[in-house]
Amino acid sequence: MNLVVNGDAEAGPGGSADPVASVPGWRIAQGAPALIAYSLGGGYPTPADPGPGQRGSRFFSGGNSPRTALVQDVALPARGTTGPRAVDAGRVRYALSGWLGGYATQEDGARLSVEFRAADSTPLALSVLGPVSSAERLGRTALVECRAEAAVPPGARSARVLLVFTRSGGGTSNDGYADALSLTLHATGGQS
Amino acid sequence: MNRRDLLKAAAAAGALNLAWPLAVGLTPAQAREAAEALGADYDPAPFTLGVASGDPQPHSVLLWTRLAPEPLAAEQQLPEIVEVQWTVAEDPRLSRVVARGTTSASATLGHSVHVAVDGLRPGRHYWYAFRALGKTSRTGRTKTAPTGRIGKAVFATANCQAFHDGYYAAHRGIARENLDFVIHLGDYIYEHGQVGGVPESHVRDHDGPEILTLGDYRKRHALYKGDRSLREAHAAHPWFLTWDDHEVVNDYSGTGGGAPFMKRRAAAYQAWYEHMPHRDSFGSMALPDPEIHRVRSWGELLELTVLDLRSYRSAQNLPDGTILGEDQKAWLKQGIDQAPDAWHVWANSIMLSQLRGRPGGSYMFTDQWDGFLAERKEVLGHVHASGLEDLVVLTGDWHSAFVDDIQVDFDQPESPLVGTEFTAHSVTSGAYSADWNAANGPLMGKANPHLKYFEGNRYGYDVYEVTPERFSTHMRVIGDRRDPLSPVSTLTTFHVDRGKTGSYEDPGTKGSPAQYRRD
Repeated sequence: MNLVVNGDAEAGPGGSADPVASVPGWRIAQGAPALIAYSLGGGYPTPADPGPGQRGSRFFSGGNSPRTALVQDVALPARGTTGPRAVDAGRVRYALSGWLGGYATQEDGARLSVEFRAADSTPLALSVLGPVSSAERLGRTALVECRAEAAVPPGARSARVLLVFTRSGGGTSNDGYADALSLTLHATGGQS
Repeated sequence: MNRRDLLKAAAAAGALNLAWPLAVGLTPAQAREAAEALGADYDPAPFTLGVASGDPQPHSVLLWTRLAPEPLAAEQQLPEIVEVQWTVAEDPRLSRVVARGTTSASATLGHSVHVAVDGLRPGRHYWYAFRALGKTSRTGRTKTAPTGRIGKAVFATANCQAFHDGYYAAHRGIARENLDFVIHLGDYIYEHGQVGGVPESHVRDHDGPEILTLGDYRKRHALYKGDRSLREAHAAHPWFLTWDDHEVVNDYSGTGGGAPFMKRRAAAYQAWYEHMPHRDSFGSMALPDPEIHRVRSWGELLELTVLDLRSYRSAQNLPDGTILGEDQKAWLKQGIDQAPDAWHVWANSIMLSQLRGRPGGSYMFTDQWDGFLAERKEVLGHVHASGLEDLVVLTGDWHSAFVDDIQVDFDQPESPLVGTEFTAHSVTSGAYSADWNAANGPLMGKANPHLKYFEGNRYGYDVYEVTPERFSTHMRVIGDRRDPLSPVSTLTTFHVDRGKTGSYEDPGTKGSPAQYRRD
């Protein structure tokens, strides 16, 4: 099960390149994102550009701010094979994935990270994806799949997902793009 | 044979080609052996990088270590998760235990360990140690912040510790001082490649070319912690931390870079977190963007405001440029409005005061607050308008000592004074030449009426002795940064009296060497 709420940018206001004031599931910590329709055109990613196979209708972008940051605090399962007992026994792993990209040869970018935290919020594990450079996109407008996987450390009780869009140089539009963000847990046989 | 002779002998034998610089291509174990052969050393594995504590509060302190059996490896040959036990006690033998627990060291965070210990008593020394993989770390000492009225606080600042420019005799001195805490003002590591010239112009060198990746930054931090004096200073006192540019790259702005730079910045920030006793559990963001700025109290005597002048800054010399970022500026101004009656100390990585190179000349460096004029005037104007008194700003970066009395508008002679800035000598990072200092000290004095003092021929750290009546800055200097055991002396002392703006030099040290002194 994907623990990220609205990781596909499908919920809430949006559709144009205009920044929105709120995004369901996310706290806007800095700037303001735009949730842009793939059908918008105007140089933004289209259904034909490289990106998620099942991409829905919209993707995240950085809006008009030089730096836009979205935060989502994720409660870990309270019970079951990925609950706290399994976590503390070292029997749970996580996978973080997302499609991250930007515009043509520009170096605006999107970064996705997850921090697993102890009960007192001290960081215990960290995975960082992106930002994807224009070279990694072969100089074209695209979203590229990024993925990391690791053990959930014993003692972890929550996860904080951070999505940051950064604009390079001048201009107005923050053309870091992101879509299909996912954080999943799965049980393993024992301490890895 | 002393270390300098050893270096010369090694150079004569051609061994330095292998040993220093630490030749690219060495295995981590070989690199460590090469480093150790010429003076670096490490604690026993896996706690090679020592222990540390930070962000002391009345009931809590953050404990740190990192498991790094091969300190100069980008990744450790360890299980993905290692269980680490920690113990806090009231005595150095760890017999009167007051807290203990277990935490996880994850490969994703370089097997670093951060433990926020709670339930402690205010104003007390505690001792602590870690245990993992069947081994026990050295024992560190820390101290919680006091509460209520206190008669005195003593603390130090350190800044700018280029590994290749000298040994950390200054940190050896800090470890031996009777301090409540230490503040590091930044440039803890340097990102550039090898400088060469060992041993004649540099005592040691970096372990490879310019660092770019998470693995690179991890190795560089581990190299710097190969100086035992740095580990001693961490183990002796709790530290507060800010950073400057070289933790990432020279003169960078935290915003506005392209994707390759932002990736590099995230790697550098993560490695910094992995190697520092930094508490990052209370903020609204998350790694790899640690939240540095914070306000802490040392009893009712001292309010410490730690600033982050890198993460949120814009480019320099813009009419609407910012060195703080909008959110941090609003936070700082709100803190000024709500400040209690106390000494107000700002940990400020880079010079706040205006600094022209010569009368009528341009600013020396606009990477410092001189590149953010409107914001400086706004912040200092707010200090004045709010009636904040007893402001002391502590600064690093410059590799030389300055004392400036802070005016709201440095270009207006009648502009009100609102505090004093002490810019400290560097631990090791090279300053201008003695000739440059002799020629330019008087010029800077003439060009900057608020500048009281300049001394650039020495290295060291500052110790601050704070009472309800007086704030005293003792400039500690070492004799020779090429000597790891170089003795420490006090060059001079400046005072600020409570309730009065402006600093004055202690009459007992006023005859000490300096390249500028406003009499």
